[in-house]
Amino acid sequence: MQRILLVLIFFVTIICNGQNRPLLYNVDDLPQSLLQNPGARIDFTRHVGIPFFSQIHLSAGSTGVTAYDIFADDGSDVNQRVRNVMRDITAGDYFSVNEQLEILSVGWKMGDRGYFSTGIYQELDVFAYFPKDPAVLAFEGNANYIGQDFDFSDANFTGEVLTVYHAGFNFKVDAKLSVGGRLKLYSGIFNVESTDNEGVFRTIETPGGPNFYRHEVSGLNVTVNTSGYASLKNEEGMTVDQAAAELMSRSLFGQNGGVGVDLGFNYRVTNQFSVNASVQDLGLMFHQKDVENYNYFGSFQTNGLEPLFPELDNNEATIPYWDIFEDRVDLSLQDETTNNAYTTWRPLKYNASFEFGTGKSILPCDYLISKKPRFMNLFGMLISGVNRPKGPTYGVTAYWDRKVNDHLRFRLAYAVDEFSITKLGFMMSSRFKNFNIYLAANDIIGYTNLAKANSASLQLGMQFIFKDL
Amino acid sequence: MSHLRIIKLVLPVIISGLLLTSCFKDVDFGQSEDISLEPDLEVDLLFYQLNETDFLDSETNAFTPVIRDTVRLEFLDDDYIQDGLMYAALRFKHENKFPYEINSNIKFLRENGRGEFNVAYTIPPGSEFSSAVVDTTHILEGNNIVNLRRSIQMVVELEIVGANQSLQGELEFMSKGLFRFEF
Repeated sequence: MQRILLVLIFFVTIICNGQNRPLLYNVDDLPQSLLQNPGARIDFTRHVGIPFFSQIHLSAGSTGVTAYDIFADDGSDVNQRVRNVMRDITAGDYFSVNEQLEILSVGWKMGDRGYFSTGIYQELDVFAYFPKDPAVLAFEGNANYIGQDFDFSDANFTGEVLTVYHAGFNFKVDAKLSVGGRLKLYSGIFNVESTDNEGVFRTIETPGGPNFYRHEVSGLNVTVNTSGYASLKNEEGMTVDQAAAELMSRSLFGQNGGVGVDLGFNYRVTNQFSVNASVQDLGLMFHQKDVENYNYFGSFQTNGLEPLFPELDNNEATIPYWDIFEDRVDLSLQDETTNNAYTTWRPLKYNASFEFGTGKSILPCDYLISKKPRFMNLFGMLISGVNRPKGPTYGVTAYWDRKVNDHLRFRLAYAVDEFSITKLGFMMSSRFKNFNIYLAANDIIGYTNLAKANSASLQLGMQFIFKDL
Repeated sequence: MSHLRIIKLVLPVIISGLLLTSCFKDVDFGQSEDISLEPDLEVDLLFYQLNETDFLDSETNAFTPVIRDTVRLEFLDDDYIQDGLMYAALRFKHENKFPYEINSNIKFLRENGRGEFNVAYTIPPGSEFSSAVVDTTHILEGNNIVNLRRSIQMVVELEIVGANQSLQGELEFMSKGLFRFEF
């Protein structure tokens, strides 16, 4: 059985890679685990977060390039390094930045089996695929790519800043099963998205044609949707600081709303073995105010300009070939700015894990205590993913979670995702009476030199957690 | 128990130390100023296909041995040309089926009509079944590139030698530019 499990783990680890944030998942004495899985088993009865400090989460990553790849201080030509990166990186590589700041967080036990939690957090999420073809065209030109398509669909990015108001309920159905759900109201501060773009630019040789080449823009259909941007753009003379202040002023009640849910469960198959899963941010944002859409569309082809050698009098002007050409371009390749409402899916996140506990803890000898003994060592494996425009990104994490005592707990994790295959993570949570502080950092090896790291993430926070027995 | 103490004390210290001392090493972000875009663009310029009617007056049918036309190349005045164009290779190709020599003169002029440079050559006579081909490339680089940057008009001028009103044939012209930029 163990061998089968090992083979399964190895297989899953090999086939999956991606982005994950697993260090707070299934940590049953941290309220933040309820944000990951509202159906998680928890081991506290009340919590109050320190406003703005109960969770600070930062993560950034790039799958195809590191700062060292470009800016290595090794005496070689920086432009050659850029060319090397451009050659190696693909349109499936991406850059991502995610930030979450918990503004408020409270929760309390309701009845014997329920736990209500609510709060507010602000989130920034930027995700951009590397625009390979447009970048190659800009950096190298078309001369070495005659006959090849430059695909505008490579331009694919999303970015949003929003505030999330949430309330969730965790319910212990029986000794084995706990389930939970969380309703989220999104308040959009800023959004930009450009996905599902179409069209190609190509230069093809035309033997037998009227000129050496034919240049074509075929099926161009590029749209950039924005909300919360037009009003900033229209403010003349607004500085970056003023724009940031304006965005901050919208942070509690943004102009555009949305709704979503988190759902999850935890099931104890045996005393030692449990499985659980969750989905987060199954929801939509409705962008209706302060919306501006930039559309670029059409098709065009040309072999160059054709002089017609008209019979002209001495003072007669020749045919305005260039103006005619420009008019043709403008007619064929159009751009327009509209104010149409649009809807975006929030990036859906999903998690599934199993966990195996060993080493039962010793509880105080008190007949009033009805709690079941906990396990001091937890071994788990988590598969997590996030839906992105070109498909989900995955990550697989194996962890050892050690409860040293009732006041100290740590987790060591090893993960494989699209950023790295050697991602070591560490989480430590400590309690002084009812005051809790935790710190989690992923890709520890990368912290030794961030220039060579493909990603880094950090979560830290402090709060009051009560465990009324 | 001693192992536990090691874990409790040493590991957090190591991890915290890593986080606190993390930094960017072995890199020089100052190189960002040296990064340049150096695209090579292949762009079609002018083309034409002429026959005998182009050398005859449309009203009087009189033979016109010299014909010319001017095309404005407004893109040569754009900032990216003025600031970034470092090299240009202009390729001109004629295929002549007229049984007469043709003198071709391709001139690049400033806005005020002053000539910056020209490419002139004679196209040998061809025949109905065999074209005479002239394929030439004119390079502009170094100090000469300013000649192209200053230009905005391209004049194509043809003089057919020794022909008369009964001439027959075709003349094809293709042209393109390889423009090398550095931004």
